[in-house]
Amino acid sequence: MSELDKVTRACLAELLLALADDEFVLGFWDSEWTGIAPILEEDVAMSSVSQDEIGHAKAFYELLAGLTGENADEIAFGRPPEAYRHAALMNHARNDWAFTIARRYLYETADALRLESLAGSSHEPLANLAVKMRREETYHLLHFDLWLRRLAEGGEDSRQRLSAMLERLWPDAQAVFAPLDGEACLLAAGILPESLESLRARWLERVVPRLEELGLPVPTAAQRAAKPRTDGRTQRTADFTWLHGEFTTVSGSEAGATW
Amino acid sequence: MAARDRVWEVFRQEAEGDPMIHGGSVKAPDEELATHYAREFYGRRQESERLWIVPREAITELDDPDLLKPPFDRSFKRPGGFLIKHKLEAAKTRAGTAGSGEAEETAE
Repeated sequence: MSELDKVTRACLAELLLALADDEFVLGFWDSEWTGIAPILEEDVAMSSVSQDEIGHAKAFYELLAGLTGENADEIAFGRPPEAYRHAALMNHARNDWAFTIARRYLYETADALRLESLAGSSHEPLANLAVKMRREETYHLLHFDLWLRRLAEGGEDSRQRLSAMLERLWPDAQAVFAPLDGEACLLAAGILPESLESLRARWLERVVPRLEELGLPVPTAAQRAAKPRTDGRTQRTADFTWLHGEFTTVSGSEAGATW
Repeated sequence: MAARDRVWEVFRQEAEGDPMIHGGSVKAPDEELATHYAREFYGRRQESERLWIVPREAITELDDPDLLKPPFDRSFKRPGGFLIKHKLEAAKTRAGTAGSGEAEETAE
């Protein structure tokens, strides 16, 4: 791989930060189920899957740190809330089980497509990482598709709750594919093999038939045609500010300490 | 969900070729979730090569002491006390494989 020029490096850094923050913030939200998930076995499973996401975030942060000469921990824990670049889907508190499953299903399906595409990235370290992560994400996708089906077929109450959450989260889920400032430069360099909007179109082709099959609400034609908001990765919420306070408690307790 | 839960016994293999050893059990309503939970409980640290997930009711249990621990002396059914070293050596010589170094110990 040839040395990346300064502009391309900055574009790649933006992409890596978005990928890392998605996994990092979702991993923290869902780790909040530890101890209170609906059944003991699921408690262990959910905690383990959340740890997987933190592990993926670490790999992305380290790739980013190698690129910019920063420290991965510092990137993960050293920023103010407004500097995080996760998609709006990860802006909300854990809520109930139906919410968690709706969010996870929408995220895992989007992430699966994104990783599939990144496996063909011209930036070899990123392509290798994507290939490795896909193996683990396959299980995540299976697990949350299984729960989506169970809640859809689990009686009126669970079906209604799931449907309401899917409808509520739909607009924010689009933000996983929100445009990046450096997207044109990433496409030109082949770092992104495919535009985010084209990925979003393919994601819709996969997700909508599955939701229809399960009798769950699907987005309207207008919703499908609407492009993700440009501030889909920059708008932050009070929920996230709270979570940020939680996950920086230890790192913030003594600046510069070695753990 | 608890009312419909079943118990699944999980067996694990640590390395290719090793015997399957009972690891423990998980509760799940069906095979699909049982497989996921077995993976999380007995495989998430990459400690297993293979898992067998078996519904507990599929297991036939035998624990009858009359069949397993009869009251008579059964020591003659154990191999201890029989010296087989010389017989083995003679057999190997006949077979032309003397000195292979295996199975030359006296049986327990």
